[in-house]
Amino acid sequence: MKIAHSEGFRKGKLFASILVFISIILAPNGLWSQGENLYKAKCSSCHQIEKNGTGPMLKGARQRWADAGEGDLIYEWVKNNAALRGSGKSKRANQVYNEYGGSQMQLFADLSNDQIDQILNYADSSSSKAAAPGAAGAADGKAKEDAAKEEGKGGVSKTWWIMGVIFLVIIFSVSGVRRQLKNASSESEPDTNATYWQEFKLWLWKYRAATGVTVLVLTISVLVLGLQSLGSINVMEGYQPSQPISFPHSVHAGQNGIDCKYCHNSVEKSKSAGLPTVNVCMNCHKQINGKTPEQQAQISKIYAAAGWDPNIKPAGGYTGKTSPIVWNKVHVLPDHVYFNHSQHVVAGKIDCIQCHGDMKTMKETAKVQKVEDLSKIEGNIKLTKPTLTMGWCIECHGKKEVVIDDKSNAYYDELHKRLKRDMKHYKHLKEDEKITVSELGGWECSKCHY
Amino acid sequence: MKKSFIKYTGVLLFGLFAFTSCSSDPDSPGLEYMPDMYRSPAIEAYVDYGEVRGRIDENKKVQLTALTPPEFTIPFYGTDSNLVKTMLPYQHLPNALMKNTHGLFNERLSSQDEYTLAAADKINGVAFSEKVIEKGKKIYTAMCQHCHGEKGDGNGPMVTSGAYNGVPNYTEAQRMALSDGQMFYSIYYGKGMMGAHRSLLNKEEIWTVIHYIRSIQYKDYAKTGKIAFTDTTKTK
Repeated sequence: MKIAHSEGFRKGKLFASILVFISIILAPNGLWSQGENLYKAKCSSCHQIEKNGTGPMLKGARQRWADAGEGDLIYEWVKNNAALRGSGKSKRANQVYNEYGGSQMQLFADLSNDQIDQILNYADSSSSKAAAPGAAGAADGKAKEDAAKEEGKGGVSKTWWIMGVIFLVIIFSVSGVRRQLKNASSESEPDTNATYWQEFKLWLWKYRAATGVTVLVLTISVLVLGLQSLGSINVMEGYQPSQPISFPHSVHAGQNGIDCKYCHNSVEKSKSAGLPTVNVCMNCHKQINGKTPEQQAQISKIYAAAGWDPNIKPAGGYTGKTSPIVWNKVHVLPDHVYFNHSQHVVAGKIDCIQCHGDMKTMKETAKVQKVEDLSKIEGNIKLTKPTLTMGWCIECHGKKEVVIDDKSNAYYDELHKRLKRDMKHYKHLKEDEKITVSELGGWECSKCHY
Repeated sequence: MKKSFIKYTGVLLFGLFAFTSCSSDPDSPGLEYMPDMYRSPAIEAYVDYGEVRGRIDENKKVQLTALTPPEFTIPFYGTDSNLVKTMLPYQHLPNALMKNTHGLFNERLSSQDEYTLAAADKINGVAFSEKVIEKGKKIYTAMCQHCHGEKGDGNGPMVTSGAYNGVPNYTEAQRMALSDGQMFYSIYYGKGMMGAHRSLLNKEEIWTVIHYIRSIQYKDYAKTGKIAFTDTTKTK
């Protein structure tokens, strides 16, 4: 009875503690969300929670004012900071103003003291770090994979040698055993003193049919493999040079929805699509410095290149000491080929995905995609020849249909106008109801070779 | 029994050996026929000329990529002096503090708060037309949308994914009241956390995208090209 009672008591206690726990979790949520909404609407464009930005971080702001002995003045500061600075009753007001380079904070006369408290409560209690572990785990996994890959790379030549040695040992031991057995079983045989080679020849002769077939198969397979490997000359499929920074396209273009053209911004203006200059990286990475140590290590390389020192008070600053990032070019064409990005993207309206694949899902740095993978993508023109070869270009020029008479494209408007001067030729082109790039001169040698 | 065991292990080992000996190296571009065709003396962007046919020339190795364009290499708009004037109607230098916050080194700096002065610059450098709005939309989609959002409310995918915060809402009264010149200044030199975007957009493109931002802020702007601003915060 006593035991039962105490068990019940214990259960009750447990239940109560769970209730308390839940209420602790839930209770401030209502307050938070109000503070959160206010923060997002009023403060977030200049103030971050845990990091100094245009203005100081909000976490601990109340404490800092209280430490300066002016805890009550923070409300006046938020409502009308210019008046507070002018009144001369606050030292901290002018100090903050000067620390942030004399840029004036907006006036928020419409906020009540309660609302300011809600915002500051929200700032003090929220923690952005809580979201990090998942990402950290993923990055860890990736790092391990990379390490494993690297080990594999270095190990190939070693395993090669070890295998070779084992193989040789086995060959000799087998033949040694055979010889001894033979010697033991038939001492009367005349050619016991024959060399290995002579014995081997005899053995081959004994099984001459099998030997012939094996030799034939071997010869043919060597020939086939040799010819096939000739086909891989100048095929760059799968080329993925290592880069100074392990840049994940999946995060930038996929998760964060950044347009390709934001970073590769000369794609519509120039022959080369362009690599982003480091100031473009800094447009976001001034604020984003990575959640995991791996990410931070990579992003610190950008900081070194841009000359950004995050430790300069209050919110980091440029030092003026820049250093270049040297990226390795991935898609290389021979010098005797002319390829122009702006032509294909502006006039041809070809999507990046046609040649570069779906970079939104690419976790590693850029790579010359295999043509099979490119053709799997929905909406792509289906091609068969290896990527970046002439056959590939020609095939696409032969398959790509263009609409030349709907006035949507200035380039083809002009072509259309010129084609109509020779109606016979124009009708001939239109016979199969479609006009391809090749019919408009896309197969002329001098289009790309000059 | 023992013999066949040895034989089979031999075959197995040989098989393993054959498989492991063929692994591709992603760092190698593969077999090349006449490598000099890929690395010719004609200079191409980003190509490394340091190694041609196995000979390594340290002086020609790629030393510099991904640097900010040098000053004065972003061209003025055209060569027509009248057009240049339309493109550069307001000469404002970056604020002296922006040297540290926005990395504007080796530049003429102003000791005044030029951003506030730009409030007087109310005329857009590019004349309004419906085509300009269309063009501006394209630029906005590629260059601004990931942070500022499709509707200009500061909720682009960068913000909703949780990677970045603190993007202002264009449709707030106080930002609707900004002059075109101030918008130009913010895009050209950067403002707050935003960096300078003049290496990405030329002056004509900046004016064009400002037209589009106006059309997000004001319903009738896309048709009329006129701003009808009423400050709701002050009348209340």
